[in-house]
Amino acid sequence: MTDREMLLRKLSSAQFALWELHLYLNTHPDDSEALRMHEQYESKCAGLRREYEGTYGPLSPMTGEGALWLQPPWPWDVTEDDG
Amino acid sequence: MWQYEKKLQYPVKIKRPNPKLAQIIISQYGGPDGELGASLRYLSQRFSMPYPELKGLLTDIGTEELGHLEMIGAIVYQLTRNLTPEQIKTGGFDAYFVDHTTGVYPASAAGVPFTAAYVQSKGDCITDLHEDLAAEQKARTTYDNILRFVDDPDVADPIKFLREREIVHYQRFGEGLRLATDRLDSKNFYAFNPSFDKKK
Repeated sequence: MTDREMLLRKLSSAQFALWELHLYLNTHPDDSEALRMHEQYESKCAGLRREYEGTYGPLSPMTGEGALWLQPPWPWDVTEDDG
Repeated sequence: MWQYEKKLQYPVKIKRPNPKLAQIIISQYGGPDGELGASLRYLSQRFSMPYPELKGLLTDIGTEELGHLEMIGAIVYQLTRNLTPEQIKTGGFDAYFVDHTTGVYPASAAGVPFTAAYVQSKGDCITDLHEDLAAEQKARTTYDNILRFVDDPDVADPIKFLREREIVHYQRFGEGLRLATDRLDSKNFYAFNPSFDKKK
């Protein structure tokens, strides 16, 4: 696994945990433990996202434009560096 | 509105092409219990959902299904990369290939094009939530059936992830149904339609 893939997986795992908590909070909006964990993962995701985008380019059109946004890999690509 | 994120919800990285498998897995792209139907179902039903928790649930699960549609598209795309005419023929992919080459098209494993007849939006939250619970189980069964044909761990891994999401969504919809019935007439849940009638 490349460094890029490794970091992307770290970010995706944290985002997944955040999303799971978010879905759960739809039906348990007053669960303070879940709200606390959500806050934790929110800051973890923000940090990992900054780290990833700083090195490998934007994940959203809001965080990078033009050639930076268009540069590969796209999510469905199997890139050279990934094997 | 929506904003795109240039990544998959869960990684898809398939080294070996397998057109036969692509033809089966495409059912979760545009088949009767696939991700396209799932996202359209929830994102359409949410407009008539009466309670904030249900609006949130349908919006979020409908959105996640769009991410799953993208994962299935990536799986099909990667399974059909760099095919030779020989592989297309022996893999039984020729019937799909003649109409779509290796483009990703929403159809079932049997080649039936996607149709809105796969989804319902009934304007009654009890009815719609029951459809949603059933839809998650039908998708789970489809993933279980797909896994019977998969021996490549690169393919099984993301398919297992998607299968698990159906179970989590089923759980959340069950909680949504309970939250709805808690607000209805406990002697008769069907006394009025909370999506349409003024509350009695």
